[in-house]
Amino acid sequence: MTIKVQVTSVIQKVVNGQSEFEAEGSVVSELIEDIENKYPGFLQQIANESGELHRFVNVYVNDEDIRFINGKDTPLNSGDVVAFLPALSGGL
Amino acid sequence: MPHIPKKLIDEMIEHAIDDLPNEACGQVNGKNGRPLTVNRVKNSAASPFRYSMDPLAMLKLEQAREETGEYLFAIYHSHVASEAYPSQTDIRQAFFPPGELDRQPMFPDCYYILVSLAHDPPEVRAFRIRQGGLVEEELIKSED
Repeated sequence: MTIKVQVTSVIQKVVNGQSEFEAEGSVVSELIEDIENKYPGFLQQIANESGELHRFVNVYVNDEDIRFINGKDTPLNSGDVVAFLPALSGGL
Repeated sequence: MPHIPKKLIDEMIEHAIDDLPNEACGQVNGKNGRPLTVNRVKNSAASPFRYSMDPLAMLKLEQAREETGEYLFAIYHSHVASEAYPSQTDIRQAFFPPGELDRQPMFPDCYYILVSLAHDPPEVRAFRIRQGGLVEEELIKSED
């Protein structure tokens, strides 16, 4: 199923400079795999060598953080919007 | 040297005070080389010691900038009890992945503005964070 993917400027360089594009997947992990196939290097931006998502990368499905749904097993429906958003943080 | 209207500087200070006891954070949008608006962003960390900008709010600001032709002029946050200078954490987190200082910072062309409430009156200073984690202060020229 076709999913609308959104990324912010930090990740755009590995997806040909696009802020929004389409990819396929029935769960988040499949979507990530499809994006990696289309844009090699994407996975390296968002996950470690074991494929676990970096804690400083936030993934949202229709504005819901997948940490509070089902992680990478979060199901997707056609037309869903998935956003990959690096954290911007700091402090003492 | 960043030229920043006093009104915008006051807005950042006001935000820092409003969000006490926690750190406040936000983004300044600009166009044609000039800062235009101060945009408060929720500090998801809700902490006096750290900030984490709400990712969805950041996405929406970025999308809005694409529509209007504006750009990210500055990222600001407050230090509630320490100096207006980027902490080691601030510097590490300016890179993606965090701490990869030999890369370009996430936002190489924008200013990092610190609002310190450690003294009265509050202090506002602007910096660039460069590859290697170098910090360069840029003296703010405040305009009415």
